[in-house]
Amino acid sequence: MIPSNNEITKEEILAVFPKVAATMADALACDAEKVKLDASLIDDLGAESIDFLDIVFRLERAFKVKIPRGKIVEDARGDLSESEFDQGGVVTAAGLARVKTFLSEVPPGRFKSPLNVADIPRLFTTETFCKVVIRQQRATAAAGASQPT
Amino acid sequence: MNLHFRAFSFVDRITSLQPRTRITGSYTIPSGLNDFPASLAAEAIGQLAAWAAMSAVDFKSRPVAGLAGRIDLLAPVRPGQVLELDAELESVDEEAVAYSGGARADGTPVIRLQHCVGPMVPVADFDDPQAVRDRFALLCGQGAIPEAFNGIPFLPLERTGGDAGQCLRATLRVPVTAALFGDHFPRRPVLPGTLLMNANLQLASALAAEIPLPSGCDTWILRTILDVKLRAFIPPGEVLEFEAVLDECSDHTAVLAVETRSFDKSRAGGKRVVGSARVLLSTEECA
Repeated sequence: MIPSNNEITKEEILAVFPKVAATMADALACDAEKVKLDASLIDDLGAESIDFLDIVFRLERAFKVKIPRGKIVEDARGDLSESEFDQGGVVTAAGLARVKTFLSEVPPGRFKSPLNVADIPRLFTTETFCKVVIRQQRATAAAGASQPT
Repeated sequence: MNLHFRAFSFVDRITSLQPRTRITGSYTIPSGLNDFPASLAAEAIGQLAAWAAMSAVDFKSRPVAGLAGRIDLLAPVRPGQVLELDAELESVDEEAVAYSGGARADGTPVIRLQHCVGPMVPVADFDDPQAVRDRFALLCGQGAIPEAFNGIPFLPLERTGGDAGQCLRATLRVPVTAALFGDHFPRRPVLPGTLLMNANLQLASALAAEIPLPSGCDTWILRTILDVKLRAFIPPGEVLEFEAVLDECSDHTAVLAVETRSFDKSRAGGKRVVGSARVLLSTEECA
């Protein structure tokens, strides 16, 4: 399955954005106004690895969803095997195409080639996390709907 | 003397374990100590949660200090008391453990931790995995011999400046050698995050003493610590810069922002923030 963002609309993103921005601002101890939708977490907001953990756990509490660690990269990989996705920590051409599709909110010029798997989080923007929240909200709703009553 | 599991270990016994979910244990504060700061009670809860997390991942990874959303200091603890410890794991995997927990002494809650997250690192980078497994078995069985802890080294904060009642700055040179480094950790000695926060709280208390009190009140009480975040390992010998700033102050409450920086030539400004938190102060009931 090729990961797609088509099903996530701009309206959905804008609906969760204020709460995502406020949550990220709390985690990064900055003003919410600074957390723009297209802001890069690392390059624009100065986030470090511990901040990513902080943001994920705060989003889980704020939106009452579960966000498995490594979820973004895992979802970006889709049905590619690990060896198809990266070789020795460097994203393959097929993997890079998947990442570009999945992180459609990231301007094309920000994708480096070769791209190290460890550097994928450098691409994440506020919108990336809005999309994670929306996907996990849908997953939670779908799991609830499939529960026997 | 073998310092491993002696110089900075605060769980004597694991009394129950529901895998990946809940753990309880105890720690007897050695009676010969002069004092036992609240930060070490927090460390005891973190270490208990760490045992549950390590057992959940077959001792391949261990958590280190990272985030604590809220720490409520409910009552002082004294040498000779037995801490009854508990921790609830919200999630645990190879990347992080999320937990909340608490400690009671003589039936009274003394400290509560909420929304804590410990990033997981390879056990073998920090410790001997087999020794860690053996210790876990001991704690789950007969328990460790109490009274092994001999206290923490004096970490003198040297005031470097400030503005009365508004901010305080200080530096600290982390000792190059100290008994606790033989336990925290044998293969990679680092300053425990709780001692970093303890130094921050010392500075916060010193600043609190300079903040004007409402009429009829005697003192500011440090009750809650919020948004603790530790960003880097602090090796022995590191020089750290501390700052406490009065952020908000109303009649009976005040909020301080505390921050610790290390010197890092590779960064803009030559410094890196390695730890931060907010400290809530309030007054006792005033006359």
